[in-house]
Amino acid sequence: MMSITLMLNGEETVQSVEPRAILADLLREGCGLTGTHLGCEHGACGACTVALDGMAVRACVVLAVMCDGRTVETIEGTRGDPVMDVIRRHFHEHHALQCGFCTPGMLMMARDIIARHPCPDEALIRAQLSGQVCRCTGYMGIVAAIRAAAAELHPEAAARPTLTRNA
Amino acid sequence: MSAEADTESWIGARLLRKEDGRHLLGASTFVADIRMPRLLDVAFVRSQMAHAGLIDIIKPEGAQDRVFTFADLAPLKVLEAGPELAAFRQSPYPALAQGKLRFVGQPVAMCVAASRGAAEDLADQVLVEAEELDAVVDAVAALRPGAPLLFDTWPDNAFIHADVNEGDIASLAQAPVQIRRQFKMNRQATVSLEGRGVLAYWDHRLDELVVYLSTQGPHVMRLGLAEALGLPEHKLRVVAPDVGGGFGGKNRLMPEEIAVAALALKLRRPVRWIEDRREHLIASVHAREHHYDITLFADRDGILLGLKGEVHIDSGAYALWPTGSFMEASMAARNLPGPYRMRHLAVTTHTVATNKAPMGPYRGVARPGACFAIERAVDELAHEMGMEPLELRRRNLVSASDMPYRTAGGLRLDTGDYPRALSEVADMVDVPALRRRQATGEDDGRRIGVGFAVYTEQSGHGAAEWTKRRSRVVPGYESATVRMLPDGTVHLLVGIQNHGQGLETTLAQIAAHELTLDPADISVRHGDTSVSPFGFGTFASRSIVFSGGAVAKTCRLVLEKARHIGAHLLQTDYAQTHVADGVVHGPSGKVSLAEIARAATIRQELLPQGMTPSLEATASYEPEESGGFFSYGAHAVVVAVEPQTGVVSILDYAIAEDCGTMINPLIVDGQIIGGVAQGIGTALYEEIPYGETGQPLATTFGDYMVPCAPEIPPLRIRHLVTPALGTEYGVKGMGEGGAIAPPAAIANAIADAFRDVGAKFCETPLTPRRVSDAVALACGELP
Amino acid sequence: MKPAPFAYARPADLAAATTLLAQGDGAAMAISGGQSLLVLMSLRLTAIETLVDLSRLPDLKRVEETATEVFLGAATTHAMVEDGRVPDPSRGLMAQVAAKIAYRAVRNLGTLGGSVALADPSADWPACLMALNAQAVIVGPDGARREAVEAFVRGPYETSLAAGEVIAGFAIPRLGPGARWGVAKVARKSGAFADSLAIVVEPGEGAPARVALAGTSSHAQLLPHVAAYLGGAPEIDPAALRAAVRADLTQVDPDADPYRLRCHGATVLKAVMEARAS
Repeated sequence: MMSITLMLNGEETVQSVEPRAILADLLREGCGLTGTHLGCEHGACGACTVALDGMAVRACVVLAVMCDGRTVETIEGTRGDPVMDVIRRHFHEHHALQCGFCTPGMLMMARDIIARHPCPDEALIRAQLSGQVCRCTGYMGIVAAIRAAAAELHPEAAARPTLTRNA
Repeated sequence: MSAEADTESWIGARLLRKEDGRHLLGASTFVADIRMPRLLDVAFVRSQMAHAGLIDIIKPEGAQDRVFTFADLAPLKVLEAGPELAAFRQSPYPALAQGKLRFVGQPVAMCVAASRGAAEDLADQVLVEAEELDAVVDAVAALRPGAPLLFDTWPDNAFIHADVNEGDIASLAQAPVQIRRQFKMNRQATVSLEGRGVLAYWDHRLDELVVYLSTQGPHVMRLGLAEALGLPEHKLRVVAPDVGGGFGGKNRLMPEEIAVAALALKLRRPVRWIEDRREHLIASVHAREHHYDITLFADRDGILLGLKGEVHIDSGAYALWPTGSFMEASMAARNLPGPYRMRHLAVTTHTVATNKAPMGPYRGVARPGACFAIERAVDELAHEMGMEPLELRRRNLVSASDMPYRTAGGLRLDTGDYPRALSEVADMVDVPALRRRQATGEDDGRRIGVGFAVYTEQSGHGAAEWTKRRSRVVPGYESATVRMLPDGTVHLLVGIQNHGQGLETTLAQIAAHELTLDPADISVRHGDTSVSPFGFGTFASRSIVFSGGAVAKTCRLVLEKARHIGAHLLQTDYAQTHVADGVVHGPSGKVSLAEIARAATIRQELLPQGMTPSLEATASYEPEESGGFFSYGAHAVVVAVEPQTGVVSILDYAIAEDCGTMINPLIVDGQIIGGVAQGIGTALYEEIPYGETGQPLATTFGDYMVPCAPEIPPLRIRHLVTPALGTEYGVKGMGEGGAIAPPAAIANAIADAFRDVGAKFCETPLTPRRVSDAVALACGELP
Repeated sequence: MKPAPFAYARPADLAAATTLLAQGDGAAMAISGGQSLLVLMSLRLTAIETLVDLSRLPDLKRVEETATEVFLGAATTHAMVEDGRVPDPSRGLMAQVAAKIAYRAVRNLGTLGGSVALADPSADWPACLMALNAQAVIVGPDGARREAVEAFVRGPYETSLAAGEVIAGFAIPRLGPGARWGVAKVARKSGAFADSLAIVVEPGEGAPARVALAGTSSHAQLLPHVAAYLGGAPEIDPAALRAAVRADLTQVDPDADPYRLRCHGATVLKAVMEARAS
């Protein structure tokens, strides 16, 4: 077992982990943060997406020991985050979830997309959502929610004429 | 509709979902989220051979008390499964293997440890000695003489052979147009994003076994678990907490679930197993694998006369409790005439055992395959006759004036306007413009095609239909308990199970409508055998018809009593009162339901003489018509295909559908879009192939392609609303329909793109490789 | 689906890392982004005694540029390239390739060095770096060496890395203003490994074209016949190009079935046309 220190959802925490423990298992089993869901455990479904030093990563393909000294934010840490609250509201209004299992990972990814692309169009959102599996919604509500949230969060970007780049 | 419904109606409201909040906060509770002291994790040792005689299971040194075989779990009953038909051969499926291994992934032993990783370490050390036998991996070949037998006592590898006949197919021997085609819908997984999961422990306070189970029907699973474990049902509580999708795959009692419950009984401490994705892909419910060989008969005007054929269902190694996959064959055969007027049908079906994971239900059950076969055949017939497929369909669709229409498959199509649905989608995609575009050609060398498919979706079918199918459990009704609390808010307890369908919202809308309350005043409780009255769960597009009906009926009982109390409190006659906005109004006063509930519950002296206290009722509901109510729709798809690489892009997807009255159009659209996304998966992406020795070849999402946002196009949906006759509010079930038509419509669009070269697209998924190979074959390119 | 137990070491510098990796005698494995390795470990497809974490070594994050080339440390992530957070020697090619590797969350951790060291036959970077005429810079117990990427990648999942050696980074020549490039990929879905990936670079200024192909039954390789054809073809004749592709495929993908052959033909053609249209 190894001792690691994380800045987890704004609080410093010291955890004892096996080297083989993936970050998602540390969060779920060690820290009781079960909002990070495991849908595939091989980096392909996105349900376990969290923010590591502010970057979206898959918590199933990150070793907990490799996060020593780093900052981790899970869906639980976004309660009260004004940006995430806007995204959440649009997910609700656009029926962007059904069973809810993919939802925490989708929200983490949605916030990441909007942070990098203040005014994302439909094609960009769909491309950026590749690897985030939702088995229920067919993605239409999710894409619409992200567009609407971005427009609300970045009205200045939405108002600006966009240069379409050949993808 | 209830007479009291003179206030603003919640029926038809696009109410935002009540269940969203917990999911959006990451605060939902799936089975894997439940924490128990002293919890043990299970890892299963699984068969690595497709077909073998089991010789021995050797436990690692020193781990005797942490590794368990079937014998260690005794006494454990092996359940009979499949329809209650003498002709259906039994395939005893023990929770852990005994005697023989019949598919790669079959549970052989279970290991426990304080963490899943440590349990897997142990599982890696268990040695399974077995003598490998020849595997059966093809359902058609499985019935040939000399094929290895899965079950030594069976005369061949079929669970059952059955025929479906109507009219006189022999009379069509001289029909002027006959085409024979073979179609295959390949095997896939159901892929709920949450895999299966089970956590069991003995609750000493209540003296019962508690089983948290990711299931679509906790009450029915309790029946099976109780029988397998030998426990009386009052000592067994099954709880389905938040369930991360099911789609049919969580509507069977699986061996791992029985084994974990048995182990919790044996060890008297909490035990859980959380299915991982590899286990899901190799050992959860598999679906779809159908092989069709059909001949379609028509006259020279393209009027369909009949269909004959043979259907092989590759059912995998075992029948799953309760009903196995027998319905696949009968539903496939009975749906082969599709929405068309034809009077002669002769289909031979074979439900075949192979050395693959057992097949179970998956959204659309059998109809995606049947729709693919008939709708592809109709297009092939149109191509053969030089007709527009659209026109051939128009000539044959059952029309509104034909309703109710009994198909050659014996299905009673009740209401709707099928030709209109077809013409709506044809308008939406603008067929003449597409034909002009095709004539011009694409600058990038791609081919454009447009395809159509029309489907029906039997929903809300009741006792007579399930009895006809000899179902072991007859889900002919649902029940509800409506309990008005002293402040006038309501607990609504139902036996169905919400795992994404939005039933916590739609049932609250129905209750709010009936009780003239706000949906916010209604709490819907479900998924717990100790909470709700008996119910069969959520599957077969049945919940809104049955459970919605039960809620409506029970609410009316409660409201009637409340109105009587209200009349008494207002010192007037019942007939002089009416209810609106949660208030009973009399000629000279009013009293709120909250005041009435308070009186009924805690101020008995205010009640009419002799009236029993409390405002609570339980009632069950079934529609009079037991044959079901048919939602239907037409899909139109425009694709662009790269002829060399076979890559298919969907350019446009239009739907015109009719599910009767919509309780919540927002949720209806969500179900349609989600269903179509899964149908696109079936059409283009998802497949679990098996190698010659029975090894599954898609065991991770690296090989099993689940469509993501870039693969799914935006859909355009038009609703035709023909209220059903004989259900509450005119609703029809509609959870599965979206998944039925896409394989047919997309394959037809691809075939349309290559109509000039005559390329054949007869097998799903239409992967780039299959499409490219089909084009190359038609163009005469050397293999 | 959890990894089997292993020991973990996080060496403080590159020298310590190479020493640890050399001692392991094959049982020690380097990890950087871990986006492929951890999947194999969770599936228990690979057994590892000691995992040596290179992800924090400053030496592997080094980025340098000169007038003629850019050096990108092995720990450069796909996302850094995608976002333009490191200098671009390729006039946009690398960013375009990066943006289509797997998924964004994977690109945030996955690295150039890890991708090339794993040498998955379908991976993007080996082909891309070959087409760009890049050199792998390798450090080991005995010092540093440089090797052209097409020589470094020796087979499917096989490189010239010896025990104790680590990729430090890639020296990538700058493309000039007259350079043209094209890239085309066929995969079963977005983010999936390529069934065929073709990358064409025509550096201009008299330098020969370089064409790389991945997604074969072997490893990513250069297509010399196609490159030679491009050198002498101001206008593209698809039939002649296809003949050149066939000539190369007998060498680089002799076991390709007809479908793969069609895919390779299509991706090379598409990449060439994209290059010529740029």
